[in-house]
Amino acid sequence: MTKLNDVLSRHEAWRPLTIALSIILVIAISHKIYWETTAETNPGKIWDEQTFSIVDPGEDENQIWRIKFEQEVDDEVIFKGVLETSPRNEVYQNFTTGGFIESEGLVYTEDLYGKTMLNVGGMRILVNGNLSGEFFESEIVTIRAHLVENTTTFQNGPNDVTLIREGWEAEPEDIQLASDIDYYFFGTEVLILLFGTYLYLKNMKHLRNQLNLIWHLAKFEFNSGMRSSRMVILGLFFSLFIIGIGWVLGDMQEADPETSFFVESGNHALLQFSFFTFFVVSLAAIAVSVDSFHKERQTNTLNMLLARPITRESIVIGKALGLTMVVGAPAFVAQLIGLYLMILEGDIPAISGILAFLLFGQIMIFTMVTFQLCFAVAARSGTDVVIYGLGAWLLFAIVWNLLVYAISFVIGIELTEGFETNPEYQALASHLGLFNPGYVYQFGVGLLTHRTIAIDMGGIPGWLVLLALVLWPLTCLRASTWLFKREMKG
Amino acid sequence: MSGGLLELKDVQKDYRTYRFGRETGRINALNKLNFSVDRGQVFGFLGPNGAGKTTTIKCIVGILNCDSGSILIEGDDIEENRLHSKNKIGFLPEQIGLYGGLTPTETLKYYGGFYELENEIIKERGKDLLQKLGLDKDSERQVSGFSLGMRKRLALAVSLLHEPEILILDEPTSGLDPRGVKALRAVLQELNEKGLTIILSSHILSEIQEICTHVGIIDKGKLIRQDAIAGIREEVKKTAIKLSLRVKGFSDSNAKQLNKKRGVSVIEETDLGKHTLVLLKLKENLVPWVTDTLVSKGVKIFSIEPQTSSLEDVFLKETGSDDND
Repeated sequence: MTKLNDVLSRHEAWRPLTIALSIILVIAISHKIYWETTAETNPGKIWDEQTFSIVDPGEDENQIWRIKFEQEVDDEVIFKGVLETSPRNEVYQNFTTGGFIESEGLVYTEDLYGKTMLNVGGMRILVNGNLSGEFFESEIVTIRAHLVENTTTFQNGPNDVTLIREGWEAEPEDIQLASDIDYYFFGTEVLILLFGTYLYLKNMKHLRNQLNLIWHLAKFEFNSGMRSSRMVILGLFFSLFIIGIGWVLGDMQEADPETSFFVESGNHALLQFSFFTFFVVSLAAIAVSVDSFHKERQTNTLNMLLARPITRESIVIGKALGLTMVVGAPAFVAQLIGLYLMILEGDIPAISGILAFLLFGQIMIFTMVTFQLCFAVAARSGTDVVIYGLGAWLLFAIVWNLLVYAISFVIGIELTEGFETNPEYQALASHLGLFNPGYVYQFGVGLLTHRTIAIDMGGIPGWLVLLALVLWPLTCLRASTWLFKREMKG
Repeated sequence: MSGGLLELKDVQKDYRTYRFGRETGRINALNKLNFSVDRGQVFGFLGPNGAGKTTTIKCIVGILNCDSGSILIEGDDIEENRLHSKNKIGFLPEQIGLYGGLTPTETLKYYGGFYELENEIIKERGKDLLQKLGLDKDSERQVSGFSLGMRKRLALAVSLLHEPEILILDEPTSGLDPRGVKALRAVLQELNEKGLTIILSSHILSEIQEICTHVGIIDKGKLIRQDAIAGIREEVKKTAIKLSLRVKGFSDSNAKQLNKKRGVSVIEETDLGKHTLVLLKLKENLVPWVTDTLVSKGVKIFSIEPQTSSLEDVFLKETGSDDND
């Protein structure tokens, strides 16, 4: 009990944030409960539970096929799930009538023209309207559908068959993005977090003073970094690389669609652009971070700094910010030029995607810098810093896919031809991707090329990507300050 | 001496060893260290290598946290407001770390920024300090081309820029040539005359003797002696003296005989050609015994001169390094 009191009193400053995070956790649980109680969140299960039976009534009478769900006709259910296919491709048009399509559980008739058969998490729902351009693949939606029964007759080979089918139908206005509701929860959570952060910062002693010192240190790091010959060469190298990639990706949109050099759209090009940006910029982050703490310790400038009235947290933040600017400023300019060249040759990506590409790019650089600072603070020698840093870069930028393959193999996902489209593999790769800042950056850019965050990104929801984008830099920053503060213990 | 400008109370500090983030061992550096320094003193911090001098200084200036105990500046615990305390302290580390690519003016601007001093004030004070420390002509040269002495002077300027109340110097004369030592001593004396309290650690005892008004001796992380330098000298006089004898016919057997007597030790023998100069350490009441013994063995004594007692005597005695005591 005394120990608990000690811990509480030592972390008193964190109390507003802890309370805010606890409330957010409660809201997040309520959010989950809300969806679980108001909607069917596993539509595929209901679809799979339908029964199909054939009744042979006897001579001169039609064979009767019956599709039945466990629910009663006229039952109304709100389904929540991912649009597995693009509604644009699911509008009935240009088809031959009279055929029974097993996967959709209906017979093609003329009255289907202009209607849309949605695939929501594996559940087929017939919408009485054209949803082309209204909703898009991978969006998470809610649909208020009701179970109907209708009877049609069709020719099955030499036999006439009467199909008595139950099926789920909805009106176009019964469909909405899940984010329309999610935003209320997320908005409340963000407001509470902001309020908690405000109270936390308000209680902090010397906040304004420390912010000034952080900026002072960051400016110094930036000026020193930009004047170093190593950074000039490195900056030139990665800037040219980024610009070149932008130009190439623009050009590839004009390539033959049959070749592997073809890039489908501006948004796809932007995704690839973000990967290549991560590829070189994360390497630059290592180079600039190596010098920071380790070299300063060796040249004894660190002790001079530690004796100044600046906290260790502020030192880490100031250095991280300065080093981020050293890499981020030239990278930002190169990204802009690269984007210009890409757009000049190809399509214009979504504006929100472009903003994410630039803004999340800076967050990614900050993350990589703080990640490398952990090594710079903890390593015993300069060689250690470089080896650990390069190891992390190799893992994140080069061998990550091999790691995903290996884990897939271990857990029994078959890596046969076309395995990359296997939903199980995609879900694993996406979940593992959250542990790679480069992939998180790509996911973030990909997410914002859509109009909503209610997107399924290969098994992970969009909000999880945003959370990862926030947690990565904060975790790395916390780890590096913790390591640096641990030194004070001696 | 209660309620000094700086006070250390039962300061305890261990260094930890880690393996894979787990603490695997501890080495004690400071063991319930107590001492205090009054305003205006020049306090010499003495101790053999590994005694805990630098650790103590690092704890005071905020580079390390002490495990327990408290460090007070004007009665305020520095743990409670470390940033405020740092404003009152100027620190000159033993190993000077300055950015080689900066000029002294830029260096002062950078470090001055941490005290939120306005640029004009930094400029004014910096110019003044560089002039005093003889660096005004080099104020626009890059520090990478500076000698160690120049770097030390620049680092001293940095530590004085914010006009601290206490100046702490860790082995300030190490690596300096005699001229540099003399110049630094002059600067420190001038600063002290203006009211600055100075704490300096050194293993060069003569330095401490020259500059300090008070001395603290630390060994194995514990303060074993703290006093005014005059008081220590007085005590030395009472307890032991050094005697210089110019003699003829002094042999190894004479030295052995003297060393056998409790309270007498032969420190040094120097062959001067015709004579031998013998330096002895002994209690004053044993002087007749020494002369009688030597004369009885046929040694001719030409002169007997008492030597000035030095701080080294106390240091060796207090830290137990003097085997003959």
